[in-house]
Amino acid sequence: MTARSRRSNSLDAALTVVLPVMLGIFIIALWQGGGLQALFHTDSYVLPAPTRIFSIYQDNSAAVWKNIWKTTSVAMLGLLLGSILGYAVALLATNFPGFGGGGLAVIGAFASVPLVALAPVMNNLTRDVSRVAETRSFVAKMLVVMLIAAADMGLNAYRGLTEVPPYSEDLMMTYAASKRTVFFKLRLPNSVPFIFTALKISVPASIMTAIVSEYFAEYAGGVGRQIRENILMAQYATAWVYIVAACGIGVVSYAVLMIVRGIIHKKLHM
Amino acid sequence: MKKREKKAAAVVLTAAMAMTMLAGCGGGSSSSSAASETEVQTTASAAETTAAAEGESEASGSVGSDVKVGVPTEEAQKVLKAAAEAGQIGNWGNGNQYELLALLNKYKLPTDYVTMDFTMDAFDSDSITLASAMVYNELGLVMNDYDGGYGYGDSVKTIDMNDEGVGMLEDNIFCTKKFAEENPQTVEAFLYASLKGWEYAAQHPEEAAKIVYEAGSSVSQGHQQYMAGQVAKLVQTDMNGDTVKQVGNMDEKAMQQTLDLAKQYLNLDDASAQDKLKNTTLDDIRDTKYMEEAVASDGKSFKPEKTDVSIQLKWLPQSQFMGYYVAEAKGYYKEVGLNVNIVSGGGDVAETTAVNNGTVDFGVTWVSNLIAANAGGMDLLEVAQIFQRSGLELVYKPENFK
Repeated sequence: MTARSRRSNSLDAALTVVLPVMLGIFIIALWQGGGLQALFHTDSYVLPAPTRIFSIYQDNSAAVWKNIWKTTSVAMLGLLLGSILGYAVALLATNFPGFGGGGLAVIGAFASVPLVALAPVMNNLTRDVSRVAETRSFVAKMLVVMLIAAADMGLNAYRGLTEVPPYSEDLMMTYAASKRTVFFKLRLPNSVPFIFTALKISVPASIMTAIVSEYFAEYAGGVGRQIRENILMAQYATAWVYIVAACGIGVVSYAVLMIVRGIIHKKLHM
Repeated sequence: MKKREKKAAAVVLTAAMAMTMLAGCGGGSSSSSAASETEVQTTASAAETTAAAEGESEASGSVGSDVKVGVPTEEAQKVLKAAAEAGQIGNWGNGNQYELLALLNKYKLPTDYVTMDFTMDAFDSDSITLASAMVYNELGLVMNDYDGGYGYGDSVKTIDMNDEGVGMLEDNIFCTKKFAEENPQTVEAFLYASLKGWEYAAQHPEEAAKIVYEAGSSVSQGHQQYMAGQVAKLVQTDMNGDTVKQVGNMDEKAMQQTLDLAKQYLNLDDASAQDKLKNTTLDDIRDTKYMEEAVASDGKSFKPEKTDVSIQLKWLPQSQFMGYYVAEAKGYYKEVGLNVNIVSGGGDVAETTAVNNGTVDFGVTWVSNLIAANAGGMDLLEVAQIFQRSGLELVYKPENFK
């Protein structure tokens, strides 16, 4: 490699960081200065300046974090259980194609029901789970997230478990490997990248689902509920605090996912 | 062959699971039909009474005597205490909860409540034993047995916010202060025709309900009729149960009570909005000038600055807004030189935002919503108060509180 191309490489690397950051700063400056509001034909009332949003956050940080936790706990527990369920169904589908395939179809079908219809159904379903509305609500919201996450995981993991490279399968056959060995040595490792493909979709989706489910929840709380309530009460500045919080949850959880993926890929030498 | 069998089994399994889910969805309606079977007797007699009461009000034009009244205070206190301790009080939240909070506070009870959806299924299944109900809407669904009703008849009892002294005023007419200043004649003409529509509707609720139903109703005609009868009472009766002299009047005492309760129970996270709320006076939220001019006028000499105007309703087309539909259908708006577009709301429409950003000229909202919006930085002005008493009731089944 010549010195020149190395320099241009490091310049490229620097630019990929600097340019987006500059764009971000530019947009925030435009937002603060009122340019963004003019661009969208709105006013500083519906789209308040970042400094104002931040000052409201500072005044209420304890409450904001409490709501963030409410939403995140629903999303993450739902995601975890849903992913396990989805993977289990995928395993079932791989080993017993008839029944398992049906299971995948069922999960896929439920996941395609609009959230607004699913959330009230879950509220009715969990009516007798607990006498405490907060617990009932938590379970109902989590079930919706679970279904969405299960569908993403199930469909992707199934592909990972079945779509193995043909030469690998042939190789296994020449070794006269048992079904069990093929499964543990070939299919399972092959499905790992697909798990992350599923998570890349289902992490943001589960947060979004948790937020929308809060609109319909019996027990008021969480980021989504706060956004809705504040907009209905015409408190846009406060609503924006929670909109920013919702974005934050999404960005942070995606970043965490990417870091975990990096570590696992390195460990598996992929 | 075996594969095909497995596939068939999978399909059956899918269908069975789907059915179970859907059954969960319709659980409320099946149990309500069972309830209506057992209580068909009481419901029928209740319907008769309602019809009779409506006929009476239409004949006399005064409804002060048969306004729905709640249970006595001691009974209310007992029920509230039991329901609060069991955590089974329901409300919709989103700005509809202040009267409930005030009532719970009055009896020094915990102010937690469960969020209700837009049905009364939770009340029907007893997971909420003391449910919020608008007297003209949900209460009708609970009591009556027309399409969508639960048919409880007179077996349910209610706690009335007006009786308890924690009533807050609801549906009004508002616009922005700027619009009112720039178009005083339009505002006065709109008020004149709208109030005329409301007066007619309140005196002829059955006809008004029909007009609303034809204008694109969201609910059954039976429910529309019930609603019109109840709304007529809210328009013509004040918080003390006395007959109102002028439809649309902004009663000083009732407005002040609403503002005081709003100041006490609205809790805004935005510090500057909260400050503004605490310093809000009646003059910041309403102006009686336009209403007085409109009432004093003979209705013939308006010179509207803007002739094409629109009004944003707070909810779907229903008898709650019958006055505007009547004014439109009877040509009252045309008479004063206005061309009015009635914009129905629904779900999550924020009527204060729609009026504030100029999408529509007038709006219908609750006084507490307007107070919150102005505290948040909007510049809205109430120009008439349509509902003269609170329409919120808490409904319960007496057998749950024995």
